[in-house]
Formats: sequence, C-alpha cells, structure tokens
Amino acid sequence: MIQKTTFIYKPGEHETEKASNSYLMSLITFIVGLPLPIINLLATFFFYISNRKGTYFVRWHCMQALLSQFSVLFVNSFGFWWTISIIFYSETVTNHYLAYMITAIIFNLSEFIATIYTAIQTRKGIHVQWWFYGNLTHLICKP
Amino acid sequence: MVVLRKFNPFNLQTMKKIIFQGLLLIVLFFSTWFVLQQINWVTILRIKQTTEKTEEKLDELLWETIKTTEDENTNQLVLKSVDSLITKICNYNDIERSKIKFNVINKNEINAFAMPNGRLVIYSGLITATENQEELAGVLCHEIAHIQLNHVMKKLIKEIGLSTLISITTGTKGSELIKETAKVLSSTSFDRSLEKEADIKAVEYLTKAEINPEHFAHFLYKINESESELIKYLTWISTHPDSKKRAEYIIDHSKNNKVKNVPVLKDKTWNKLKELLENQ
Repeated sequence: MIQKTTFIYKPGEHETEKASNSYLMSLITFIVGLPLPIINLLATFFFYISNRKGTYFVRWHCMQALLSQFSVLFVNSFGFWWTISIIFYSETVTNHYLAYMITAIIFNLSEFIATIYTAIQTRKGIHVQWWFYGNLTHLICKP
Repeated sequence: MVVLRKFNPFNLQTMKKIIFQGLLLIVLFFSTWFVLQQINWVTILRIKQTTEKTEEKLDELLWETIKTTEDENTNQLVLKSVDSLITKICNYNDIERSKIKFNVINKNEINAFAMPNGRLVIYSGLITATENQEELAGVLCHEIAHIQLNHVMKKLIKEIGLSTLISITTGTKGSELIKETAKVLSSTSFDRSLEKEADIKAVEYLTKAEINPEHFAHFLYKINESESELIKYLTWISTHPDSKKRAEYIIDHSKNNKVKNVPVLKDKTWNKLKELLENQ
C-alpha cells in the first residue's frame, strides 16, 4: 500500500521538514477532528494553501496528505451522523452500525499508522508514495 | 505530440490505474463492512443486556421515588380492568405482555407516562376524564408505542445525559437527581417527531386490536376544547402539544381502515370502574 520511490530531485532539509509537517498536521487534527471529521480536511486544506507556493516536494506531500483526508472524511461523517441519529432519534444500535464503526476504525487506524510512517520517512528525505493517493497526487500536482 | 508526451507521463493507462485503485479501495471498504456484519456484535458486546440492566435499575429507582410521593391504587377492579385493555393491545400486536408493566396512581391530573423498562404510570384522573374504554385504550396505545419505539431512554439521554443516567444506576448520584428524572418523565414532552411517531403507531395498535382510533382522536379534540378551564389538571395535554392537530392526523391515518370495534370491558365494568375512581 505504501511505496518508497525516488523523487525527481533530492529535497533539502527545509523541504523535508515542511513536507513531514503536512502529515503531522493531519495527525493532530485527526485526533481533534474525530468527532467532527470536517475539521481534519479543513486544517490540512489550509496547510496546503499556506504551502502552495512552496517547492515541488513540499507541495506534493501536502497534496497527498490532503487527498488522503477525503476518504476518511466520507467514512467518518457517515459514522458521525449515524451515531447522532442513534442518540437523538429513533435509530437503534444494530449489527450494521457496529460493523460500520469497526470498519471505520480499521480504516482510520490504517491511515493513522500510514501517516506516522510517512511523516517519519519524509522527514528523512525519503519520498513515500501511497497506493491510489500517490498516483492521484502525481496527476494533480505538477512540478 | 512527442514533446507533450515527454512532459505529461500520465496517459490513459495511468488514469485507468487510478480509477481501478480507487474502485478497489471502495470495494475493500464495503466488503470489510459486509464481512463484519456477519458477526453478531450486539450479542458479543452485550449491548442488549447492558441496556436492559440500565433500564431495569432506572425503573426500580424511579418507581421507588414515585411510590413514596404518590398514592398508588391497588384496587383489583381498577388493576384488572386496565390489565385487560393492555393485554388485548399486546396480544393483537405481538407485543410480549410480560414486558409491559403498569401502575395506577390516585391523582386528579389527566396524565399517563411511560418509564424505562416498559412501565406505564396511569393517573386515575385520566381514567375518569375518558368517556369510554376506547379513549383510554388510545392513550395506553400511545404510551406503549413510546415504550416499543424506545423513546423513553432517548428522551432521558437527551434531557439528563447518558453519563448522569449511568451514575444514577451505579448509585453515585443522590436522590434529588432521581426525583428530577422522574419529573422529566412525568411532566415534559417528547420531541414533536417522536410524539407523531407514537400517535401513528398507536393508530396501528388500535386498529389491530379492533378498537376504533376515532375515539382516541375524539378524546384529543375534547381535551383541547376544555383546555382553558381545566389547564391545571391537564398534564398529559400540556406535555403533548397541538392536540387538535394530533387528532386531525389520527383521523387521517385511520380513515382508510374500517375498524370493527370490539369492546374489551363490559359496559357494567367500565361504569363501575369510573364510579369507583370518581368517588375516591
């Protein structure tokens, strides 16, 4: 799912730090934003905006961090509103709901681990490309 | 063209690869969800037992509090008459009879409310205010619907909060809070949407139990008209707003069903019951 590749140029120290921070940003907001998933996306989006004039390496990793937030945004938003409807409306806790929440936890946890790993590797200057999101980032983010 | 290809490495094949990987991610998510659904999590995580135990404990504590402040009616005629109505409603609607408990309280207030763990509390004032057994059955069906649709716990969680409810059941909160919870149940309304849901369910229960729902609507109309004179006794109505509107949609929901009205109690028993409660 995660692939270490060579970037088109060797990034400098300041670049690896900024690129790594984009993942850390999504990690911190991931914890804060669990109850309201949109916070994750917004925080990563603003971090991307502030670095949009950065170097290619920084932009590329900010974009990958941003794109990876989209899938969990949908998964978590659905889970969040389902939970709300159980607490305040007539929905009940069913096997469908619990299975969904466990699936959501598995996906969130995978993303969490992948984000930590990528943040560490990027800090070392190693280019890490995620399955699906890496290719999508290549498509959007140009040198 | 050659130059463009050199600068744009993403050809159709790459696009196909992205779409394929994206679809595979979606399939992976839904198949994980599907596989996990095959496991009975509700039983494994003991969700039902935990909920039932919390409800049981809450009911026990709340009823103890109500019993000490109110005068419980233990007259066999009263209890047997109400029991006959509830039993018929339950039997005709596949509701487990043993899950519904009830108590009658001697009080002039026109009120009835549902408590956790399937307990119904009916005030004698409500029985004397109903013209016939069908009207009383309508109110009972409405409260049973609240129980069956799990509205009681939802209301308590919303009004009191889940953590407070749990602390009540574990005995870490005082009796004042228990009294407050009992007050929430007896004198505050459910959300409008929950009230409507309970009304519509009540029409279904009445129809299946061969009790004409029009009587229930009539009771609401009647109570709405006399509201200004009797306001201090009309707790059930003040906690159930828009009684006229409710009567209208009850009529609307029941107009297509031709219900054969089969009384549960004999006229003699009903009159005796009313007479007994009016003289108390």
